[in-house]
Amino acid sequence: MNLSWYYISGILIFAGINLMAVQGLSLLTGFTGLFSFGHAGFMSIGAYTAAIVTSWLGAPFYVSLLSAGLFAGLISLIIGRLTLKLKGDYFVIATLGFGESVRLLFAFLESIGGARGFTIATSAHHTSLFDVVLVNAIGLIVMVNLIHSKHGRNLKAIREEELASRVIGIDVFKYKMSSFFISAFYAGVAGGLFAHYLLFIQPAMFQLIKSTELTIMVIFGGLGSITGSVIGAILLTALPEMLRFLNVWRFVIYGILVILIMILRPKGLMGGQELRLISWTRRLISKRKGGQA
Amino acid sequence: MNVTFFIQVLINGIAIGSVYALMAVGYSLVYSIMSFSNFAHGGVIMLGAYIGYYSGALFGLPIWAAILAAMLGCGLIAITIERAAYNPLRKRNAPPLYYIISAMGTSILLENLIVATIGPNFKTYPPLFTERSIEIGKIAIGKLDLLMLVISAVSLFLLVFLIDKTKIGMAIRATAYNLRASSLMGVNPDTVIFIVFGLGGAMAGVAGVLFGMRYVVYPQIGIITNKAFVGAVFGGLGSLPGAIIGSVLLGIIEVMASAYWSSNLQNLIAFVLLIFVLIVRPSGIMGVSTEDKA
Amino acid sequence: MKRLLTLLLVFLMVFSLVGCGEKPAAGPKGNTAGDTIKIGWIGSLTGDQAVWGTCESNTLQMLVDEANAAGGWKGKQLELVPLDYRGIAEESLTAARRLTTQDNVIAIIGPNTSGGSIALTPAVETSGVPAISTVGTNPLVTVTEDGAVKPFNFRVCFIDPYQGAVAAGYAYDVLGLRKAAVLYDQSIDYSKGLTEFFEKQFVHMGGEIVAKEAFNAGDTEFKTQLTKIKEADPQILFLPYFFKEVALTANQAEDIGLNVVMMGGDGWPSEQLMKMAKDSLQGDYFVNHLDYKDPAVADFNKQYMDAFGIAPELNGYLAYDAFLVLKAAVEKAENINSVEIAKALETVEVQGITGFIRMDAATHNPVGKDAAILKIEGDEYVFQQKYSIVPVE
Repeated sequence: MNLSWYYISGILIFAGINLMAVQGLSLLTGFTGLFSFGHAGFMSIGAYTAAIVTSWLGAPFYVSLLSAGLFAGLISLIIGRLTLKLKGDYFVIATLGFGESVRLLFAFLESIGGARGFTIATSAHHTSLFDVVLVNAIGLIVMVNLIHSKHGRNLKAIREEELASRVIGIDVFKYKMSSFFISAFYAGVAGGLFAHYLLFIQPAMFQLIKSTELTIMVIFGGLGSITGSVIGAILLTALPEMLRFLNVWRFVIYGILVILIMILRPKGLMGGQELRLISWTRRLISKRKGGQA
Repeated sequence: MNVTFFIQVLINGIAIGSVYALMAVGYSLVYSIMSFSNFAHGGVIMLGAYIGYYSGALFGLPIWAAILAAMLGCGLIAITIERAAYNPLRKRNAPPLYYIISAMGTSILLENLIVATIGPNFKTYPPLFTERSIEIGKIAIGKLDLLMLVISAVSLFLLVFLIDKTKIGMAIRATAYNLRASSLMGVNPDTVIFIVFGLGGAMAGVAGVLFGMRYVVYPQIGIITNKAFVGAVFGGLGSLPGAIIGSVLLGIIEVMASAYWSSNLQNLIAFVLLIFVLIVRPSGIMGVSTEDKA
Repeated sequence: MKRLLTLLLVFLMVFSLVGCGEKPAAGPKGNTAGDTIKIGWIGSLTGDQAVWGTCESNTLQMLVDEANAAGGWKGKQLELVPLDYRGIAEESLTAARRLTTQDNVIAIIGPNTSGGSIALTPAVETSGVPAISTVGTNPLVTVTEDGAVKPFNFRVCFIDPYQGAVAAGYAYDVLGLRKAAVLYDQSIDYSKGLTEFFEKQFVHMGGEIVAKEAFNAGDTEFKTQLTKIKEADPQILFLPYFFKEVALTANQAEDIGLNVVMMGGDGWPSEQLMKMAKDSLQGDYFVNHLDYKDPAVADFNKQYMDAFGIAPELNGYLAYDAFLVLKAAVEKAENINSVEIAKALETVEVQGITGFIRMDAATHNPVGKDAAILKIEGDEYVFQQKYSIVPVE
């Protein structure tokens, strides 16, 4: 089989777009213990914001990504203010309601194309693999530093013992809000990358299934593991393409694999591990170097 | 607009709400015991619609027998799903998140299994009535709607009776209250979970057949259960009367929004209202507010 | 920590180098057929559009087998490479990236939504491979927002403005109706497009829209909207969406005692429609591409029934015509090269089973395709007349 780089890079671009959103979700779910079914909503807000900023205002691509993240973040502050006090599944449902509302609202807004969609101006920059990798690298660096900062330690404390954290004086609500904001920001940027890769966006692209796919990626990779999120996002984006030889059976197998990972590796693929992978990669690299010599 | 219009719309709302209710009780039952939202429920409902269709189309069973077949079939399917996808997680004390992902995997699996085997084509139940509606004054009521309402009411009544008045029901309620404590009291949680999934599945079977009979059968009908889910949350997760009341209310609110405001906003209003209810009453209308177990 | 960052930076640098290698060439050279002619197809084999997609892929496989038995095209055998995209627009782009470069197809047929047909544009323009949309009715499938034609996107179906206008014109002119109501699916572009242009045309001609109600894809209950429509007392109800929902709407209209002439577009015709709601749809009309009594249509119907045991959907006829159009272009082009085929497609003229297709080089739409008006009587779609109209701007 001769694989084409154009095809593979197409998959990698989507993997990167998903990864960007998954990074944010990973913070929210893995480090704060909150679980969202509405991040496709933040992604769509980002996608439309970025598309409008470049197409109507003629702003540069990276400015549009920043505004996409900021605007999605701004909305998250409002939604978070209202819903972050909810517990467990009630929060999940509230985010589900948010995601669906946003989609229905975009379909309703004729000025930005409604259900028929919005076309990005031909003069706008097209998302390349380089953009996706660069944005993700910046995102990862920021995220890793955040997790290892005092802020990150407090987040973990909240995840483990919310009541105890409150007792020792951590403002739980404030920390949840900040994670929610950051996750929405990341999803918004992912939406901006998405819009400029497809050059055409429709509300129908941001259905509930997109939110659930992102969440599956986070849990699949392993909660509380950034490396896990990276692997989860890339693997699960590529999986439907890799399973093409199964024809109509490919999503049957996809479903079975998701269940199997949950059953066989109850903590996800990486199970909260980070550094082991890196030392493993280093071992592999040095071994290979040895082999060549 | 006039009173006739209002009554007509109200009847439509109750009819939709009653189907939501049948779907929502399955969510609520499982939630009350295991504290997670069983997203595979929609898939089971879809299979129920197919079982009903084939027992009519292949074996020529009358509608009541088709419903019984679907109840039995879906009960077994729900139990199998529990064994395969949730039980291993329970053995490991996994948090609810993993159950939800496993449930979503199951839901993807079921939908695509039907696409791959039976195919994507729409199936329609043979018509039950030649004259489609009865007219009372100026109000027309679909006979299928009436039948649906009656069957839903009977099934829901039987379920509530079972939970409230029987020993099995008591065991379920005890387990819902506290799984560990009830097992100390001699209730076997495995048996309770077995029964709960069986009951939820049976209700899904009824819902599936009614839905298929009223509308049409295809692999993606599971999606409609999102509304039932909203209804369950609306009423308060884990509460059986809550699920029923919440679902019927949701049905009525939807049609009223559509009738007196705008049908463009029907679904939007449902979701916005959902968020609003949660903000005002964070555990739904009938839900018991759960304090953090610290 | 530092190690992780170093690794990330190395990762980044490697990828940016690879990324730089991805600069598009001056003009796409396109794919040239080797020993076999590979034709790509993208459509729904799973997901909620699978009924229509499956029919397209079945039809094309049947046509490819038939052509191969007759010696192929220009002496070369054909090979169909069908890819599922689940009805998800972005997956259509990935599939097109694969078909154009890895599978070296000379053309893509499909996909069966406007969203999917628009989303694959960057891939076909980079690779220089034409894509012929079967049922992508949104004008933006073949032209950009500024009206410039997209060099590699074509279609064989009507565009939304045309069908909507035809329905309105027929209702007003021929049926002589003046008060119309519309129920539409606001979440899909097809339904929204038809509604917009039906409304424009009907009002322009002097009619009145007395009620306009909406629902969302996935809804199955329309009685409330229909009750409102009943209150408005229209003479005709326009239902611009697909047969599953049309059947449910017609049955529920019956339930609440709404008796009015109904009319729809090419989303209506299907065996399933008749199975689900024959009685509720007696005497209603729809706009279609073809007359079912046409011998070419009847032959294809029989052939499809024999092969798959089920009647074809409308998508089958359009996939059939896309195949004929592609065949004509391949014969016309000097070499079996995708860029040359795209050039040839611009001037192609073919007698298809959905009518005579002459591609318009300025829009890549088929022009002069008459719309057929059909009426449901008993078990049959009865051909009324050909009807064409110049839509209002």
